[in-house]
Amino acid sequence: MSDLIIERRFDADAATVFAYLTRPEHIAKWWGPEGMACPVLDVDLTKTGAWTSTMANADGARFKVSGVVEAVDPPRSVAFTWGWHDEADRRGPESRVTFEVTPIAEGGAVFTLTHADLPDDESAANHTEGWTSALRKIERLLA
Amino acid sequence: MQNLPNTFAALGDATRFAIVERLLNEGELSAGALQTTADISPPAISRHLKVLREAGVIEQRVDAQRRLYAVRPEAVQAISAWTMSHREFWEASLDRLEAAMKREMNLK
Repeated sequence: MSDLIIERRFDADAATVFAYLTRPEHIAKWWGPEGMACPVLDVDLTKTGAWTSTMANADGARFKVSGVVEAVDPPRSVAFTWGWHDEADRRGPESRVTFEVTPIAEGGAVFTLTHADLPDDESAANHTEGWTSALRKIERLLA
Repeated sequence: MQNLPNTFAALGDATRFAIVERLLNEGELSAGALQTTADISPPAISRHLKVLREAGVIEQRVDAQRRLYAVRPEAVQAISAWTMSHREFWEASLDRLEAAMKREMNLK
């Protein structure tokens, strides 16, 4: 298992950042990488409960992910579970995401994203020689 | 349903990986055409094709006397879904979040 931590500083105040991170109408503007459509986006991080999202890339491949919002503490933090579904709609290993927003005295806010309990893909990849680069190659061929 | 460990096991052989690369680059090919991929015997190439087929990486189609092989799109999709890293997902999302906030804050 491994954790991913990403930190970003935003110029907006903590309340605004928190609103953009959690309200469905704002989430629709940023959820998922550029170029990925989001045919299903039922994500409301302002309250606890189930969420689900299906993304689709330009080739029509669909990626479904779902979870449960477990804790909301506005305008500071949100915690929710995360699990990808496979093409038979079986939900895979569950990981945990936490959003934290901390105001900065001189203005703006720091956003910290923690994605914990991720399956340790990287170390698994190291066991097979050349395997990561092989995948990169395949991805390039498909590009 | 794509079994990823089997997919990767099948691709974990240099000859088989080269076969799949050629099929991705050139599209559907006959077993005869694939034989020039590596310096190996016809029985060996059939064996490799069988492994790839059983792992669901490639599919076979019979056209008159020839057997034609192609990469299964489902296998490629499964690999691409699996390799989309969480870091990429979040970094790209946060870029968009930042842009959306900037855009709308400036309007006020």
